[in-house]
Amino acid sequence: MAKTQQTRSAAGRGEKEGAGKRYLWLVGLFFVAFLVITARFWYLQIMRGDEYWRASSNNIIRDMDLRAPRGNIIDRNGKVMAENRPSFDVFVLPHIFNKYDTKQTLALLQRYLHLSDQEVKNIEKRVQAKVAQVPVRRDVTRRAVAALEADKLRLPGVEVRVIPHRVYPYNQVGAHALGYMAEVSSKDLLRLSPYGYTRGDYIGRMGLERSFEEVLRGSPGIDRRVVDVRGIPQGEAETQFLIGDYRKIAPVPGRDVVTTLDAELMETIDQAVRDYPSGAVVALDPRDGSILALYSKPGINPNSWTGRLSSMEKRRVDNNPFTPMLDKSVNAYFPGSVYKIVGAAAALEEGIEEVDGEITCHGGYMLGGRRFRCWKRGGHGPLDVAGAMQHSCDVYFYSIADRLGSDVLAEYAYKFGFGEQTGISLNNESAGRVPTKEWHRTNSPHGYQHGFSLNTVLGQGNTMSTPLQVALAYGAIANGGDLYYPRIVSEIRNSEGETLFEYPPKVRRTLGLKDSTLAAIKDGLYKVVNENGGTAYALKSDDLEISGKSGTAQVHAIGTVRVANRDKAFQLRDHAWFVAYAPSKDPEIVVAVFLQHAGGGSTEAAPVAINVIKSYLENQKRAAQPLPAQPDLPPTDGDSD
Amino acid sequence: MQNPSDRLRILVTRVDWVLMSIIGALGGIGIFNLYSAAGATDGFTVHTMQAAWFVVGLGIMAVLAMVDYRVIERWAYIIFGSAVFLLVLVMLFGTELNGSKRWLNLGFFLMQPSELLKIAVIIVTARYFHDSDHDGPLGLIDLIKPTAIVLSGVAFVIIQPDLGTSLIVLGIYAFMVFFEGMRWQSMLIIALLTLISLPFGYFFGMKEYQQDRVIAFLQINDDHLGDSWQVRQSVIAFGSGRVWGKGSRDGTQIQQGFVPEHETDFASANWGEEHGFMGMLLMLGLFMALLLRALWISSNARDRFGAQVGVGVAALFFTHIVVNLGMVTGMLPVVGITLPLISYGGSSMLTMMLALGLLLNVHMRRLPLVSR
Repeated sequence: MAKTQQTRSAAGRGEKEGAGKRYLWLVGLFFVAFLVITARFWYLQIMRGDEYWRASSNNIIRDMDLRAPRGNIIDRNGKVMAENRPSFDVFVLPHIFNKYDTKQTLALLQRYLHLSDQEVKNIEKRVQAKVAQVPVRRDVTRRAVAALEADKLRLPGVEVRVIPHRVYPYNQVGAHALGYMAEVSSKDLLRLSPYGYTRGDYIGRMGLERSFEEVLRGSPGIDRRVVDVRGIPQGEAETQFLIGDYRKIAPVPGRDVVTTLDAELMETIDQAVRDYPSGAVVALDPRDGSILALYSKPGINPNSWTGRLSSMEKRRVDNNPFTPMLDKSVNAYFPGSVYKIVGAAAALEEGIEEVDGEITCHGGYMLGGRRFRCWKRGGHGPLDVAGAMQHSCDVYFYSIADRLGSDVLAEYAYKFGFGEQTGISLNNESAGRVPTKEWHRTNSPHGYQHGFSLNTVLGQGNTMSTPLQVALAYGAIANGGDLYYPRIVSEIRNSEGETLFEYPPKVRRTLGLKDSTLAAIKDGLYKVVNENGGTAYALKSDDLEISGKSGTAQVHAIGTVRVANRDKAFQLRDHAWFVAYAPSKDPEIVVAVFLQHAGGGSTEAAPVAINVIKSYLENQKRAAQPLPAQPDLPPTDGDSD
Repeated sequence: MQNPSDRLRILVTRVDWVLMSIIGALGGIGIFNLYSAAGATDGFTVHTMQAAWFVVGLGIMAVLAMVDYRVIERWAYIIFGSAVFLLVLVMLFGTELNGSKRWLNLGFFLMQPSELLKIAVIIVTARYFHDSDHDGPLGLIDLIKPTAIVLSGVAFVIIQPDLGTSLIVLGIYAFMVFFEGMRWQSMLIIALLTLISLPFGYFFGMKEYQQDRVIAFLQINDDHLGDSWQVRQSVIAFGSGRVWGKGSRDGTQIQQGFVPEHETDFASANWGEEHGFMGMLLMLGLFMALLLRALWISSNARDRFGAQVGVGVAALFFTHIVVNLGMVTGMLPVVGITLPLISYGGSSMLTMMLALGLLLNVHMRRLPLVSR
């Protein structure tokens, strides 16, 4: 052992010499390497030191977010319903601004931009809070921009940026479906900053802007700029030296959302309901559940809501008794008689129609010593289901409800999609309500009573449905039994127009009714418009067969004395409903019209629905006609391809 | 023989105070530098953490210095095996950060076993050459066995993937082989093989982000944001320090956060910016003193194992220093290699202190322990 160590440690003479030489090699290598590093430091710090010193201390490198243009929202015919327009926005950057005479700068700004004293005060407050960038004014005129640019030297820390600004060409039409944009709040930022949102960013509120936020929003790019202490960008050479070519990461534009909406139809609707202060209209294609129009009134003009919303505007909306911010197309109301399809289906499926053949209306129905009245005092006489629908006879449905009870009725209501969300995932869609015995037990003051079903079958009592639910339910009848999911977006496209994702129509469930049941209901809906005595017979037209159902939902219990609607206080007036589809034989469109506190369904809502349907079908026909042959255009000599 | 307290007394008198002074100076610079850089990271005080790691490191170094290194030599293969075992554990249960699985989560500390491998390779290689009975310079055949042993460990580091660390480990091994003595023909063949295998390594051995870094390095003006941006900013930081630097805490590049990782891999950029060329000369001088001291200790070792350990430790520091400084000054591609005792980080600090403990150990036992 000792011997081995001896030979290994000092080794033989020859090896020791070898080791010594190798130590020298190593020392030499270390020196050479350190010399190279020292030379590098010499080069950087001594030879080019002044250059780098200027680069580092006289200049500030700043990363600016380049906002990505938000995706467009497009209607089914390619019409743009929400798009971007460049807007000149003025900002103040406190880290530069604060180093100079802030009073003087603000005074200049106030003069150029016509800011109010209050606005100036707000800016001062935010500048002192050292917000990274304080927005001063959006969408400044070109003249103001020119003035600011010309006086740049006296405006340190003031910056004009071109920012894509959201525009809604159809203004208030479709505001609920489209939504609007608003600046992210501090509360939002807590949640959203991991996703790259920063102060001053805009985020979709309400409607599609909100539910498709992730799709519409692109990802911001970076513009890395070299600016001097006044925030004035440096020349090309300086920039090149400092940051080379790492100046820009292009923003990724948001994706376009192609909707199933028909902008023109929405405008037609807007015109058709111009005399009514409040309501909602839903139009859809019964063949695939595509929403053609989702309209709610009153709305807001998203153009004035996007950006800096004046407090006056906001107050006007907040104080409006017709709740402009509420999307009434997905909010639940008493459906009234349009709900009678539920009772009709139940009667036919449960065999009541076959047993009795006909039910006779004498103008009222006795239950437990209480008389339930029909809207027609004199009574309708003997009726079958179709007739009961045609005349909207109440007694017929009282009789059904009496025999079937709340739970059986509820079962059929669920089949039609009532009482649960349709899945449109827009604007806090309401589920509506289908009262069952259980529901009454927990919610009614005296528990369940058999008489409740007599109210619910008429779409009164505690029954609540949304216009969208009603439209979808009638769509299922119109197409022969398929209840669709509402489809408001058909595809997502990238900014090059390539389809990234498609939303095919989806059947939610089939009604599961006998063909004879469906046929009888459709027969009734046909008679409403097309046969004498139908509640909307006055609107029958010769060239188009329309089927439908009116509804007049009492907001207040009918008293002993009948009061005409126009004599009631507005809030006590009935809701007017009309649901229609056409053409009756092969329906292409369903329209549900709900006019809040407007009075009678057949007098108020029906004309609107029929007007909308006709206008839509005429447009369809016009669009389907072949265009006149175009003369061959001369070839362009541009480089468009 | 003497009683244990005598042995301890002798050992303590033989502590290499020159080496200790160099360590103290570099550690101090590291902590001071982080204190200054901390201006750029509000709240979190990395320099106090670094000071804590430094003290822990000194403790571990002291403990390691006390154990006779011949015990370590005896356990060399077991130590190496344990390091490899830890790497296997990393592969199975490791914590993933930034796409690499390099860490074992010990609850209070993310341990990086590839760091331990650096030490284990020094020990196992020294042991192997200590035992080997070759005549004259080594040929290729003589290298097969030790290379296979080392590669069995490095392979796991490459898998992680940790290109920088695997290159460091292979570098250390290469230095130790060179020191053992090699035929010049063999060196030539290895050099050729390395050159030929480089493209293969690039295309098949590297992940995309690693390739990006190489590309970013080769063409600094390409638009790979990040890698090259970082280097460019660090170069500006260095350059703007000029002769005397901008003064402590006045480095605008670092203080304004232009240099990423200014606490870890790019810590020296802060030093260069705030203390200039003179500061860098001081730092380089201390490092050179450390390297020369390590070689001096190696040449005075009582046996081949001790001599090899000295060279291995020198190689460990040398490769780290050259790669790190080369990378922050834009001479080499960016790989995550720390600057010993300067960069922030527990794993790095402990590794370097372990290595220095070995060095101290060899020095203290250059002579038999006899009382005077």
